[in-house]
Amino acid sequence: MPHMALDLSQLIRQIDALSENASKRQADQAARLPLAQATLDAIAADPEATRQRAADVAHRFRWAGAIPTDEPINAVYPLPAHPARASIVAADGSQIHPDRHGLALYYLINIGSIVFRHGAEEAPACSSSAEVFFEDEDLYENESLISGEKINAERDARELGELARLGASESGAAPTVTLLDNGLLLFFSLQEQDRKAKDKAIANYLARMDQLKASGAALAGVVDRPRAANIIRLLHLATLDERELDQDHLRGTGRFQHMVDTALFGALQPGERSALFVNAAPDNLEYYKPRGHTVRFFYLNAGRPGKGSLLRIEVPEWVAQDRARLDLVHAAIVEQCRFTDGFPYVLMRAHELAVVTMDERRAFDELVMGALVRRGFTPGVSQKQQGKEWTGSGKRRFP
Amino acid sequence: MTDGTIAIGRLIRSSTAGFVFACRVPEPEVPLFGAFVKAPAQRAQSEVFGLIYDIAFTDDMLVRQVAAAPDLPESYIQDQRVNRQIPIEVSVLAVGYRSNGGSLNYGLPPQPPITLDRISQCDDAEVAEFTERFDYLQIVLNSPHAPADELIAASLRRAVDTCPPDERGRFLRNAGKELARLLSRDLARLENLLRRIRP
Repeated sequence: MPHMALDLSQLIRQIDALSENASKRQADQAARLPLAQATLDAIAADPEATRQRAADVAHRFRWAGAIPTDEPINAVYPLPAHPARASIVAADGSQIHPDRHGLALYYLINIGSIVFRHGAEEAPACSSSAEVFFEDEDLYENESLISGEKINAERDARELGELARLGASESGAAPTVTLLDNGLLLFFSLQEQDRKAKDKAIANYLARMDQLKASGAALAGVVDRPRAANIIRLLHLATLDERELDQDHLRGTGRFQHMVDTALFGALQPGERSALFVNAAPDNLEYYKPRGHTVRFFYLNAGRPGKGSLLRIEVPEWVAQDRARLDLVHAAIVEQCRFTDGFPYVLMRAHELAVVTMDERRAFDELVMGALVRRGFTPGVSQKQQGKEWTGSGKRRFP
Repeated sequence: MTDGTIAIGRLIRSSTAGFVFACRVPEPEVPLFGAFVKAPAQRAQSEVFGLIYDIAFTDDMLVRQVAAAPDLPESYIQDQRVNRQIPIEVSVLAVGYRSNGGSLNYGLPPQPPITLDRISQCDDAEVAEFTERFDYLQIVLNSPHAPADELIAASLRRAVDTCPPDERGRFLRNAGKELARLLSRDLARLENLLRRIRP
């Protein structure tokens, strides 16, 4: 028996406890589901009051809930017809973060994209484009190395930019849907203290969103296995009385603790979607709304009979408020999921075109090394990194 | 293109016994099982000649998943065929070489071609020259990997096409004689092979 760093025999009892815990949690949530469902139906009966209250709370507090739209809260929308010809465009990005222990300081962003011309019976057009960043102004901000979060924001902006470029060239020929493999709100952790940097990153992102809107193509973000609880928070809000409306109460989800939105939409049949909601996240209302890009979302069963697949689909308001475009997004995503068990084919392919494999990364490092040597440097990785490379392979573990 | 021939793929791995090259979706005529191909070696000082003995399409989970769909639209098929970065692997058995533009040698080359070398199809004159003698048949028969009998039959059918029509019968009879010598202790196999190449 080789010596392994992860001693599985030690973990066996914990694995047992873990699975017991998971099944308890599932049973517990299943037991609370009827209450959640009843609450959803109750607030659906008074949509105007529900919307007013949610909008008011979102305005006054930091609340990651959902604000109902003019679609009935518990409505179900059937699968619209798919046009005979449509272009489905997807872009995805990957990155190599700067490595303090590496040969040289740089970061890299690679964007992969695919244009799938539904009904044209031709091979989709694929592309990948990579850029490496190494100038001081790319790498440093206020004397510290650029954070992973900012690199990710730059990657996300470039994904949108690629969609805008391709959307503009496709939308003249056929109705065009552009897809991203995540939600539409740029992610910033609560730790992000640098307000100016955040403003800048979101402004950059929204400028690409403007271009995309102008391109004439629709846009949707696809979240697989969503864990979001915006609508659960809306249900929780319904259980609070006026005196309980404060930041503390709104942070939690009370009786619906640890439940997720998808639990509410288990009854959606393949092809059906839920109603649209506005994401009440503070960033959405503060940054996206004033620019006309308020992010809305719905849940969609993109699976097939016997094997459902609930996706969360996020769309900007200019898609949500245009029924023809919204129906196109709905139909196109379901069609794209037909052969790939509930996740859009084009997004799988865009990921494949974007991903930087370990082998590719190694090959790139070798090119960097060669270039440095030619300039008279004797680059080397840190001893710590070297040690990891020496010991990281399972083959080198002896008893 | 170094010598006027058209490359049909690039080498991905090799040994003195043979090599594997990768190519995109095949044309109807190239590559073919039993075809004669060549690759540069020793920094273009020599050429290695070989016979294609396997053409393999590899799969992955995505192609398996869409393959199961009953009514797959053409765009998906074209995407998998044209765009996916899964090259077709073509395996070649090394059967001879030529050093410094000199005469042909039958047998394994002193050095294999190296990664990303261009592989090209041998033209008729090269095939005719290579099959003036049948010394390569022994190498094929001894190959642990190639389907030897099928490969011999296919290569001789390719070679006989390069002969003038009135020479073809004689060419195949001579090949049969060489096979009879090599397989004198395995008459059942010999008979099967001779049936495959009968004029």
